[in-house]
Amino acid sequence: MPSQEEIYQKVSATLVEALNVEVDEINPAATLQGDLGAESIDFLDIVFRLEREFGIKIPRNELFPESIFQGDPDFVMNGKVTEKGLDELRQKMPFADLSKFEKNPELTAISDLFTVDMIAKYIQGKLNVKN
Amino acid sequence: MRLKDQVAIVTGGSRGIGRGVVKAFAAEGAKVAFIYKGNQPAADSLAAEVAQTGGVAKAFQCDVANHDEAFKVVEAIEAEWGSIQILVNNAGVIRDGLFVAMKPEEWDVVVQTNLGGTFNFCHALAMKLARQRKGRIINISSVAATNSNPGQTNYAASKGAINSFTRALAVELAGRGVTVNAIAPGFIETDMSENVRNKAGDLIKKMIPLKRLGQPEDIAKVAVFLASPDAGYITGQILTVDGGLSLGAVAM
Repeated sequence: MPSQEEIYQKVSATLVEALNVEVDEINPAATLQGDLGAESIDFLDIVFRLEREFGIKIPRNELFPESIFQGDPDFVMNGKVTEKGLDELRQKMPFADLSKFEKNPELTAISDLFTVDMIAKYIQGKLNVKN
Repeated sequence: MRLKDQVAIVTGGSRGIGRGVVKAFAAEGAKVAFIYKGNQPAADSLAAEVAQTGGVAKAFQCDVANHDEAFKVVEAIEAEWGSIQILVNNAGVIRDGLFVAMKPEEWDVVVQTNLGGTFNFCHALAMKLARQRKGRIINISSVAATNSNPGQTNYAASKGAINSFTRALAVELAGRGVTVNAIAPGFIETDMSENVRNKAGDLIKKMIPLKRLGQPEDIAKVAVFLASPDAGYITGQILTVDGGLSLGAVAM
């Protein structure tokens, strides 16, 4: 079983390859889209690479739920995620740190949830590595 | 040698425009895997012809309309020559006939080969090209996509769809350094256009401002350009190569 540190190192190396970035650009809080320049095709590539690197299966929409809301008015109102929507996020993405997002839950800021640390936590969960 | 050490796939490579592209790519130093469906003598003669001129081309049999076969043949080519950089989706068929009398099979085979074949090979290669952050996809369309002729609803629909597909895929792959373009040939002297040429005779030449039919080499040269570093900043474009036919000028 790999340690938390080993998982983080492997996730970093995976992102360096998938996103063609320098290793010193990677830090736990770096967002995939904003800081590391990921596009939608990159998210697929990251999933493939993580599956191979860690020998796990990542079901579609589990790590990067692209379409949690689909414009559902219960979840999003006036461009903001509702309390019910936040509950849905907590349930679907227990590995994501929602603390900052909850303060100002603009839908457009949702991509900021996808950080290096989020991926590492997701992998830890998949491999049952305790914090 | 503008394509030195590149590995290219050309579908529908044994005859017509595809054959011209295979020869031109090989002459520019590429290793060319060309796909043929059934005409083995044509495939063998092309491989031999290229070898005689010091080039490298190898025939691979595959029905482009079959998704699984496309994936398998791409794997076989990689096993032979390593990673692939260039894909030319050229395989195409016609089943001309007035729409009211068109059989569903005539619609299906044209759409499944021309559009479906393009989808299948792009599907088999797109992620690989994206991963290596380098790649060229060149789809062979037709002026028939925009200049309508009676009897070609199926063919026009397939080629029009290829144009839209080209632009849409170009947007998805651009961030990964992969370009996707199409060439829209006019009347090219090939087996495929033989019937039309026979029927129309000299009238065709009168319709073409440059006063001659195109040759496969005319298209092949443009394909070489689009595959070469010179075209690195071009993506999502449909390049018409038709001697001016689509300008719609009336001969004086």
